[in-house]
Amino acid sequence: MRVRFALLLIAALGCGCARGNGGGTAAGKRVVILGFDGLDYGYTKKLMEEGKLPNFSRVAREGSFGPLETSIPPQSPVAWSNFITGMDSGGHGIFDFVHRKPDTMTPYLSASEVSGGGKTLKFGKCQFPLSGGSVELLRRGRAFWEVLENHGIETTVIRMPANFPPSGTATRELSGMGTPDIRGTYGEFSFYTSKLFAFAGEDIAGGQVYEVDIYDGVVEAKLYGPDNPFLIETEKLASDFTVYLDPKDPVAKIVAGSEEIVLREGEWSGWVPVEFPFTCWIGGLQGMVRFYLRSVRPDFELYASPIQLDPMAPALPISTPEDYATDLAKAGGRFYVQGLPEDTKARESGVLTTEEFLAQARIAGKEFADQFPYVLDHFEDGLLFFYLGNADQISHVMWKVLDPGHPAYDPEVDPKYAGLIEEVYVGLDGIVGQALERLSADDTLIVMSDHGFASWRRSFHLNAWLKEKGYLVVKDPGMEDDPGLFVNVDWAHTRAYGIGLNALYINLKGRESNGIVPEEKRKALMDEIAAALLAEVDPKTGGPVVTKAYQRDDTYKDRGYLEIGPDIIVGTAKGTRISGHSALGAVGKEVLTDNVDEWSGDHLMDHETVPGILLANRPLKKPAPRLQDLAESVLLEFGIDESIQPREREN
Amino acid sequence: MFGGGRIKLDKDLLARVKKYSDIAGYSSVEEFITHALEKELSKLEDAGSEEEIKKRLKGLGYIS
Repeated sequence: MRVRFALLLIAALGCGCARGNGGGTAAGKRVVILGFDGLDYGYTKKLMEEGKLPNFSRVAREGSFGPLETSIPPQSPVAWSNFITGMDSGGHGIFDFVHRKPDTMTPYLSASEVSGGGKTLKFGKCQFPLSGGSVELLRRGRAFWEVLENHGIETTVIRMPANFPPSGTATRELSGMGTPDIRGTYGEFSFYTSKLFAFAGEDIAGGQVYEVDIYDGVVEAKLYGPDNPFLIETEKLASDFTVYLDPKDPVAKIVAGSEEIVLREGEWSGWVPVEFPFTCWIGGLQGMVRFYLRSVRPDFELYASPIQLDPMAPALPISTPEDYATDLAKAGGRFYVQGLPEDTKARESGVLTTEEFLAQARIAGKEFADQFPYVLDHFEDGLLFFYLGNADQISHVMWKVLDPGHPAYDPEVDPKYAGLIEEVYVGLDGIVGQALERLSADDTLIVMSDHGFASWRRSFHLNAWLKEKGYLVVKDPGMEDDPGLFVNVDWAHTRAYGIGLNALYINLKGRESNGIVPEEKRKALMDEIAAALLAEVDPKTGGPVVTKAYQRDDTYKDRGYLEIGPDIIVGTAKGTRISGHSALGAVGKEVLTDNVDEWSGDHLMDHETVPGILLANRPLKKPAPRLQDLAESVLLEFGIDESIQPREREN
Repeated sequence: MFGGGRIKLDKDLLARVKKYSDIAGYSSVEEFITHALEKELSKLEDAGSEEEIKKRLKGLGYIS
């Protein structure tokens, strides 16, 4: 018996989301939206002027091209939620990748929440869940495609970010950013090596390193899944695999599940289905993995991708209808299911080299791009939204190649990749070309991005700045290597703190668990901190550190979820970003440092400095200067003149 | 009740607990309350798993 979604659902990660809809009658009109995450307006314009993006230029000649104002803050889940709902964060409730629970002061990912199962029946070492857990999409408000569906217009929504689990309200949906791997994370790779003390003592973010032994040319190892929901004692699900090393050649045979794969050093496998047995007389959980054989000798080194939900048998809901993901896999082969599949974590940690990362990112990008013609050929009428995130992820780790002034720029290596970002943009131009080939003159084509990009040269340690200014007090001023999560914060004397990538909160009495600032003093304190942020000068650049300090209550016009947002949204100057360290509640000692990480490009800055793009093959009936306006413009292309939802707005 | 411990519940709350424990299929009010408390406690205990939280957030890529 194979246990798929239903059983895992009730056991650990499952979903109680509603799904399905009645479809709709064809209205005849066709609108295709290509959502290219992170396509920068300035860089796109430059390439168009140089004649590098002929299809973009053709669309612009026939219609329009310009910047698209992004969200505050310019973070993907916020930006796409603005687009989806036509509301700002006050209405849809997504303010940052990371939110915090004021009662426990713990951070959490803002877009979806997984809660565990309930009652269990225990038998020996086993337990059997009797009631379900759930995965809940935390983006609030109606999606614009629901309005279309209500008017009988079919919608196909492929990999819309901030839409996991899929809303169930489109005719066809495939979830994208926010979709977890089989462990329930945003993607944890595994790296197997016979090298002793590889990455010893290092905290490898986004993956696990396993030391393995070689006996007579054979490596026995395991892939690990989530905790076994049927065991009382915590134990991870595991799937064995064996690697046979060729005694002479740089070749190995991997036996995993029922598959045998032969790889040479430097080769990637295709998707390998694997099963994780549950034990307790119950079947298993199905996933899939991709291997990369880096080295057979002197040290054995094997990378295994984050284990994906298998679209042939997804253990969590990833599409509407449920078998749509399977249809896509049957038509074009298995594909990355997790959101943001480009393994930037493996690159950042040094597990993958630049070349290896780019090879992996190209595989992921190609899988998605190859689905486009199929989806387009099966699109009859209504709305088609198709997302590609390759440009965003590659830009994050490779943007420095465009900036010889970046602290991590390597003049020996990086000039070799000078044309890389351009290559990615040119690839997207090819996608636009495919759309143009298949669309008629009456169809509307919109190409848009959620935000732009900038070189991230300087890191701003917000909590260290708050400490320096006296707004945050630490317990131990001498603490080295603050681990974060506020372990060194003295709440009894702290008036403000940072958590998340653009967020600053007042330690408010009655809201925060250890709040000390009375409500009547909140506004004055916010004004004071905002002014101080804007006055801060980076001694290295001589320029401002922060160019926007958006106060929540004045910035957001939509209401409903305003109260969960940060008090101040910090818009750092272009080139400066809040550090990851500070974003997790660490304080540290230095306020500003060079960013020497591989993650060299970013957009979590002053939103005016990183606009996205809006390109359309005809003037839109209702112009959309902001991302937030675009969905209603799309509705109007179908002749629907109504707001996406009744709004509760201030003013 | 509850292993000899006594817990005082508001009369209205108790009535609602009785009603919904039946509807939800619990075999007794005690079982329902035990389950509800376990669920809440697990939330707090999860919140204590700091390394797990950090790891999950770092998986974003934005946080190194």
